[in-house]
Amino acid sequence: MRLALLALLTRSPAHGYELKQDLEKLLGAAYPQPNVGQIYVTLGRLEKSGLIEGEDVEQSGRPNKRTYKLTAAGREAVLAWFEDTAEEPRVRDEFFMKLALAPQSGLADPIALINKQRRQYLNTMRDLSKLAAAEDRDNKISQLLIEGAMLHLQADLDWLERCQEELE
Amino acid sequence: MSDDATAAPVVPIVRAEGLTKTHHGEGTPVPAVRGVDLSVQPGEFVAVTGPSGAGKSTLLHLIGGLQRPDDGKLWLDGERVDAYREARWAVLRRRSIGVVFQFFNLVSNLTVADNVELPALLAGASPKAARDSRAELLAELGLEGRERSMPGELSGGEQQRVALARALVNHPALLLADEPAGSLDSKGTREVLRLLTRFHQRGQTIIMVTHDARMASAADRVISFFDGRIADDAQLGGGRPGPAGGVSGVLELKE
Amino acid sequence: MRATLRWAQADFRAHRGEALFVVLASAGVIASLLLAGALFGYAANPWQRVFNQSQGAHIWLHTRAGADTDAKALAAVDGVAALSGPYRTAATTVESRGARAGVTLRAADVEPPQTGRPLVAAGSWLARPDPGDTGTGPATGSVVLETSVARALWAEPGDTVRVTGPDGAPHLLRVSGTADAAEPRYQPGGAAGIGWVLPATLDEIARADTGQSVGLRLEDPDDTDFIVQRAVTVLGADRVAEVTKWQQARAEAGGDDRLLGTVFAVFGVGALLAAALAASGAVGARVRGQLRDIAVLKAIGFTPGQVTRGFLVQHLAFALLGVALGTTAIALLGARIPGRIGEAAAVWQDLPGHTALMIGIPGGAVLLIAASTGLSAWRAGRVPPVPVARAALPSAAPMTALGKRALGMRVPPALVLGWRAAFPRRGRTLVPVARLALPLVLITVALVAWSTLDQFRSSPAQVGLAAALTVRSEQPAGPSDAELEETLATVPDVAAVHPGAEMAALVPGQTGTITLRGLGTARQPYPSAVVEGRAVAGPDEAVAGQGLLDLLGVRVGDWVRMTVGGRPQILHLVGRTIEPESGGRVITTTLDALRERDPRLRPAFHALELRKGADPRAVSGALATAAGATLEIRETPNPADRLEPARGVIGALIAVLALIGLIELLTLIGTGVRDRGRDLLALKAIGLTPRQIGAMIVTAAGLTALVSALVGTTVGVLSGSWLVDTQGASSGIGAGIAQPPPLPVLLTVIVGAVLGAVAAAALPATRTARRRLADSLSETL
Repeated sequence: MRLALLALLTRSPAHGYELKQDLEKLLGAAYPQPNVGQIYVTLGRLEKSGLIEGEDVEQSGRPNKRTYKLTAAGREAVLAWFEDTAEEPRVRDEFFMKLALAPQSGLADPIALINKQRRQYLNTMRDLSKLAAAEDRDNKISQLLIEGAMLHLQADLDWLERCQEELE
Repeated sequence: MSDDATAAPVVPIVRAEGLTKTHHGEGTPVPAVRGVDLSVQPGEFVAVTGPSGAGKSTLLHLIGGLQRPDDGKLWLDGERVDAYREARWAVLRRRSIGVVFQFFNLVSNLTVADNVELPALLAGASPKAARDSRAELLAELGLEGRERSMPGELSGGEQQRVALARALVNHPALLLADEPAGSLDSKGTREVLRLLTRFHQRGQTIIMVTHDARMASAADRVISFFDGRIADDAQLGGGRPGPAGGVSGVLELKE
Repeated sequence: MRATLRWAQADFRAHRGEALFVVLASAGVIASLLLAGALFGYAANPWQRVFNQSQGAHIWLHTRAGADTDAKALAAVDGVAALSGPYRTAATTVESRGARAGVTLRAADVEPPQTGRPLVAAGSWLARPDPGDTGTGPATGSVVLETSVARALWAEPGDTVRVTGPDGAPHLLRVSGTADAAEPRYQPGGAAGIGWVLPATLDEIARADTGQSVGLRLEDPDDTDFIVQRAVTVLGADRVAEVTKWQQARAEAGGDDRLLGTVFAVFGVGALLAAALAASGAVGARVRGQLRDIAVLKAIGFTPGQVTRGFLVQHLAFALLGVALGTTAIALLGARIPGRIGEAAAVWQDLPGHTALMIGIPGGAVLLIAASTGLSAWRAGRVPPVPVARAALPSAAPMTALGKRALGMRVPPALVLGWRAAFPRRGRTLVPVARLALPLVLITVALVAWSTLDQFRSSPAQVGLAAALTVRSEQPAGPSDAELEETLATVPDVAAVHPGAEMAALVPGQTGTITLRGLGTARQPYPSAVVEGRAVAGPDEAVAGQGLLDLLGVRVGDWVRMTVGGRPQILHLVGRTIEPESGGRVITTTLDALRERDPRLRPAFHALELRKGADPRAVSGALATAAGATLEIRETPNPADRLEPARGVIGALIAVLALIGLIELLTLIGTGVRDRGRDLLALKAIGLTPRQIGAMIVTAAGLTALVSALVGTTVGVLSGSWLVDTQGASSGIGAGIAQPPPLPVLLTVIVGAVLGAVAAAALPATRTARRRLADSLSETL
């Protein structure tokens, strides 16, 4: 979340609550509702690292709003983040561990494990489909996010199939 | 809807017991379907998934009478059909079963209009009635104005939509779809999926073979087919509900 | 039903060109077969044809000289429809160029008679002489001779012949024309021939001794015998010298309809079968091209029966249309075709067997086409309802090392790939080659028959007709043998003179007679056409025809015993010859051998061998002048005359077979193009230009045609020779007459087939090669 907040601040200074709203609007319902407290904590850490600069703004009748602005170092950090490429794909370690250890432990049937996981994936896929249908068609970012998730799920399901083929 | 105590049991649209089919091609014979038991209720949307070569298409062909089972029993709407001859199956298919394949759904010599009207004419409808049904369906599927085109002039997605229209023109009790979006891009896949869901909501029973998880997840029930046998038969919509308003674990932002 | 029709309609619209071709092709095949039938009828019934055209008389009554015929009484006889004549007649002898024939001259008018009208074949009918032309010029009158007499005399319109009347005085008459009549023909040594003169001329020649001839045309030909009795009663039995009936005339006119019938039947049935095969091939190819569509139709709900019916209705309808078209075209327009074919078609209607053939040929064709189409349509009905992702193409053998090396050596890839396309795995190559070879086999067999017939004209020595002329001298007024032979030898163009004698001999058991012939001497043997064994070399040796070998049940090398004039004769059979006379029941030895038995034997005739290219007519004229009027010169009868019409029949059948071959070729090319079309993408990816791809298709077609033509002509020559020889052996002439067609002709057939294939493949090949990739994508799947 750190770098997302930094990236948001490149455009203009903003305060914590604004940033929360921006994130929500950008990512839509696919993104779990950002926790305000989490955001403030992150902002604090960012300030301590010197990547942003905070400034208090007076408000009548309410505690002071702290507005943050990007520093030169922060700008550098954002640029570096954009330059970086994503890491290698994740593998669901936990499930695979279960699958690998099931025959040895004798406590679970590999095929039953696979079936259960598949059902879960399918239900997830179903929910994602509903989400995509409910979401605003023009919010391309949101749609792409959902589609990315679906494609990952497809890959996972295909991998499950391979596991079932090999382990049968 | 009905009294539990005195309601007559609903007759499943498809009921299979011990269906078996072995392909004898070049080399060793391949058992495609091995002793499959299946029951599909009216109005269900069933997806059959599995790796390629597992025999999913063969199962579909057996249910639709396109191939004869080596062994086993099959009932369609309570009628015992596994011993039917080809001609009788053809008559049954006219009224009660619509089939959509992955490719080659349309007769290449006939226009789109003729392709869609043909099953209606076969079932005994008058040319006028056939024309009306055809117009209605093509309009619903967004294909007005393409009546006179030949199948060769249509895109893949359009061809599949015409194929759907053709399969549904007689309002069959059962729709069989074998990888209906298998040769389409993602846009085409979405279109087909949307249409299938729409018809399912109107009460159409659909059995669909697919390897696309998205299409499979649109169904009520997913059957996993492995090596000629049913490995899993899951009702979707149950399972752990996701966290309110979002989907857990979809997106993980690094700290 | 509606659905089937809808589909059939759409199918038709998609293949309009093919449908048109099927209709035209079937019409063409039927029309040609019918014309062949017409020619056959025309040739096999010469008497009937002439009879119908000339309004012939069923009965001819000839009365003695001095008798008077009561025409009115005859006409009043019940059952007589019309009278021809009565004509005054006189018996005369006519000479021309040394040939002599007995001819009965009839007085006829300038207008040919209505009934029994002679059909002028050459020249013109009698004309009234110019009033101012009396007495000038040597020939004072004109005569029209019947064709068989004219042929025996070598007389043509414009010639002058010498007519000797009953009183012995010679007159010179000009032949104004020759005509056909439906009466018994002239045979040398048999009944007299017929000639027509003006009454004035007849009076000049035979003033007083005239008899009368009258012809009766009957309402019902079956009443002939009864009416003959009545007529003879009317005329008075003592007055009637001779009665000839139409059955006699027909039997004598003959027409070797047995041979012709065999030729026509064999080739006709062969052509029909080939047509049926071609039809099934074409339909089968169409079905194979539509496998996916048929599967979809079945998935929709077409029953196998409906699919079969749909195909059957379509193709059968077109074939029927074509057959009907062809039949009506011939029925209505046949007579308008120029030449002999038109004549034959016009006359055919009155000939027996017309209705049978007119119904039988189209009917048989329809049945056969229905059967073969039905088979293909039934197979279409058995296509499984599952459309396979890739239409099952049988696997081909991998590229041979030779092929790879050829490509490496820069042999044009079109050639190598075309070769592979033409000859995939062995089984798959065989069928198209065999299908294309069948019409070629039949065509070659027909050519063998043709060239065998040709042989009778071009090299008669090979078929036992070495001597074109036979000369008989009048005994005892004529010169002695030695003198005669000398005189004959001095005539230019005479190559050799062989004395000869013929007599009847009884076979052992007295069950039948054979002809014993002594020809030539030991010094100068006669060149017999020996096909088995060897020629006569020593005393007591003889050669015989197949008919004799069959009759006596002997083989070459056996000794034969026969009784001649009460005395036995034993001969050693050393060879078999081609013997066109007397059904082959002739045994030939030298005159010396016969003289041994009967030293007083004199040659009854001399057979003259002419130099190559000499004209028998001219030689005969020269002989007449050289040897005087004591010679009787005859031309050796050549079976080719009888068999001439068969060539027309064979020609028509060759046309039919060529058409059928074209159909098979187009089917083959269509299949090949479709198969190659699937590989189009792959070929373009390899880097072949459109021109190379087109060349590949054309090469494949050409190579298949080449192999088929080679196989077809070879098999055709072998089987044709065998067939002709078998026919020859069974008819007594003897096996060995078969003459394969000359090599240039065979080469023309082969080259023609290849060129035809290349031409027919050119257009589809270019069209396939130019197809855009986008179009072929949907088809490769």
